[in-house]
Amino acid sequence: MKTFARYAFPMLLILSMLLSACGTANTQAPVVETAAVAQPTAEAQKPQDTQACGVVELQYWNPFTGPDGPFMGEMVEAFNASHPDIKVTMTSQGEYYTQLATAAAADTLPDVAILHADQVATHAFRNMLRPMDDLVAEMGISGSDYPAGVWNAGEVAGRRYSIPLDIHPMTAFYNADLLKAAGFDAPPKTAEEFEAIAAAITSGDNKGFDITGGFPVQQIFQQMLHQFGGSEFNADGTEATWNSEAGIKALQWMKDVQSKYSEPNLEVDAELNAFKTGTVGMVWNGIWQTTNVTGSGVEFDGRAAAVPQIGPQMAVWAGSHQFTLPVHKKVDPCKDRAAAIFIKYMVENSVTWAKAGQIPASNSVRASAEFKAIEPQATIASSVEYAFFPPSVPGITDAYGPLGEAVGAVMNGTAPDIKAALDDAARRANEILAQNRATYGSAPKQP
Amino acid sequence: MSVSRLNLRKISPVPYLFILPHLIFFAVFIGYPFFNGLYISFFQYDYLRPEATTFVGLQNYTDLFRAGSVKFVEFWNSVRVTLTFVIYSVPFLVVIPLCLAVLLNSKLRGMNFFRTIYFAPWVLSCAVISLIWWWIFQSQGGLLNYYLKLLGLDTPRWLSTMPYAMISIVVATVWWTMGSNMVIFLAALQDIPAELHEAAQIDGANAWQTFTRVTIPLLRPVMVFIIITTIIASFNLLGQPMMMTRGAPAQPTGGGATEPVMLRIFTEGFVRPFQGSAAAMSVIVAIMMMTFSAVNFRIFRQRD
Repeated sequence: MKTFARYAFPMLLILSMLLSACGTANTQAPVVETAAVAQPTAEAQKPQDTQACGVVELQYWNPFTGPDGPFMGEMVEAFNASHPDIKVTMTSQGEYYTQLATAAAADTLPDVAILHADQVATHAFRNMLRPMDDLVAEMGISGSDYPAGVWNAGEVAGRRYSIPLDIHPMTAFYNADLLKAAGFDAPPKTAEEFEAIAAAITSGDNKGFDITGGFPVQQIFQQMLHQFGGSEFNADGTEATWNSEAGIKALQWMKDVQSKYSEPNLEVDAELNAFKTGTVGMVWNGIWQTTNVTGSGVEFDGRAAAVPQIGPQMAVWAGSHQFTLPVHKKVDPCKDRAAAIFIKYMVENSVTWAKAGQIPASNSVRASAEFKAIEPQATIASSVEYAFFPPSVPGITDAYGPLGEAVGAVMNGTAPDIKAALDDAARRANEILAQNRATYGSAPKQP
Repeated sequence: MSVSRLNLRKISPVPYLFILPHLIFFAVFIGYPFFNGLYISFFQYDYLRPEATTFVGLQNYTDLFRAGSVKFVEFWNSVRVTLTFVIYSVPFLVVIPLCLAVLLNSKLRGMNFFRTIYFAPWVLSCAVISLIWWWIFQSQGGLLNYYLKLLGLDTPRWLSTMPYAMISIVVATVWWTMGSNMVIFLAALQDIPAELHEAAQIDGANAWQTFTRVTIPLLRPVMVFIIITTIIASFNLLGQPMMMTRGAPAQPTGGGATEPVMLRIFTEGFVRPFQGSAAAMSVIVAIMMMTFSAVNFRIFRQRD
């Protein structure tokens, strides 16, 4: 028994530590920290109104841990170089919203943070963001420089909580070599063209259009729903309405193209991996996949274009990164002013950000010659006019949960009845929306 | 006099001082969170909105037992997923390590090398092994399907269809954690006196009889220990499905076919900020695990 004890007790100890560690620690994605160093240049700067504050240090957090991170880092460095009295330190991290929520509990939120448009209302209601109406007026930023949808996403209960940086729309990626071989020179713009191209390419091992049963099918459904004239929720975000006639048409269309042109039962990202092997004509995914599946990312002529109009009206699913001012127990006016200067600079210079594969949200930046030279972003940019965003009510992303499950189940073939699946998802979403209303109330607590 | 001295000795602080370091950690990291969790399970609670904290009595619990509601379906679906995983993984995590331990208990050259090899996966973190197995199982260009295709076999969608998604998670977990059980078995095997085996051989027992009649009975206490700790560990399943399948495939009625209860609780408490309801789920899971362990102990103690 002695030998056993000698082995077993240390093992038990380690076991218990590792078991408890697996419960939480391993869920943390690696933290990528990109510290941009201030590089004051020799050029004399025009005096800033931050002069009385001395050098202001700003913490800036974002979720850009992917290949887009370095582009953002470049912009921050350029800002620091041109603003000697403001020093911005950027931190990009995974498990982003968990990080924000824990930082909020410890009052260590950054001075500026990027949030996705659909998260703004939730975080405003959870006392993590400050309204910035006054600051926005001071900055001279106005809604007229943005598409209405993306601008409205930053308004919660009548107050402004965020400034849009970019719009990242659903994008149609296509294998130009396969299209050419099938006799087509350009990507489809209409339902007929789409069907013709997909049908011509689908033969043997080649597939015309791959669509998965995971991300982003829910987003593709939302897009088709809007194209067929429907909407996910009623105007005030109290009721799910995706089980409409339009919703059934949308999902039926997806199911049809899946059975005709796609491999069945693909999981998340499988359509991209298949596309990269050169056997798939078209896939739809977020614009952030551009460098992954076009240009030097693939061995064929992979290209990106705006998604076609399948239904009677044009609509494009999109997300948006937005600048916000997180809550602090003690608000420092110097930091707020510096943050305003920083946000304005980042928005006005978002052309660099476009190179990371995003479409600048600001109309004037999109109209600039500099942006128009960036392909394929410039070609896709026309579609952001048709981008729609969820109503800004707290917890709205939770209400999308049942929709994602229903669409996934229909695409994977586990739910054969489209109408029943959408009805059931709507019933469950309504229950979640009611729970959210009871939990969050009608307006955020004013700081 | 003698009575009071006895009393004094009875409450001598020395033993308590010895356990104090652990007691402090236990109280801070297990005791307090446990009772605080119990407490907030009676509230509608979000730590970022203290102004919205309201006492709701047993509502967080009754919600979980209201048939047909979203929380009911999602929670009990995830409990079922976890139990399925326990049933599938525990037998493999006991039998395979036992076989490996028996094989590695021989006195051949290079045994330490193999012991290290089989134990090695255990030192990797959950995230690392999940990523490795994700790459093996993923259906487009994944290692497994690549070879299955070369052999002309079916190439199932390992991570997005059932039962393959669950099989993938079980395989990854068995590969990852079998090393620890193996080492414990190995230590126990080395504790069995060689004379017993010799005596059995002299009495004419063959290798199989020696194994079933001598080795297995002597491994009983260790076996109980391993079964119980493995069940508890399997109950705590979180990281592998979180990273390999993200709970996929979705169930048409709500929840994911590989979404374990720990992931459900995490989502409820941190993605949806309903920490009161998440706490209620944790309490129910804790009660289930305690009952499970109690039954286990009872069964094995009675037989002893």
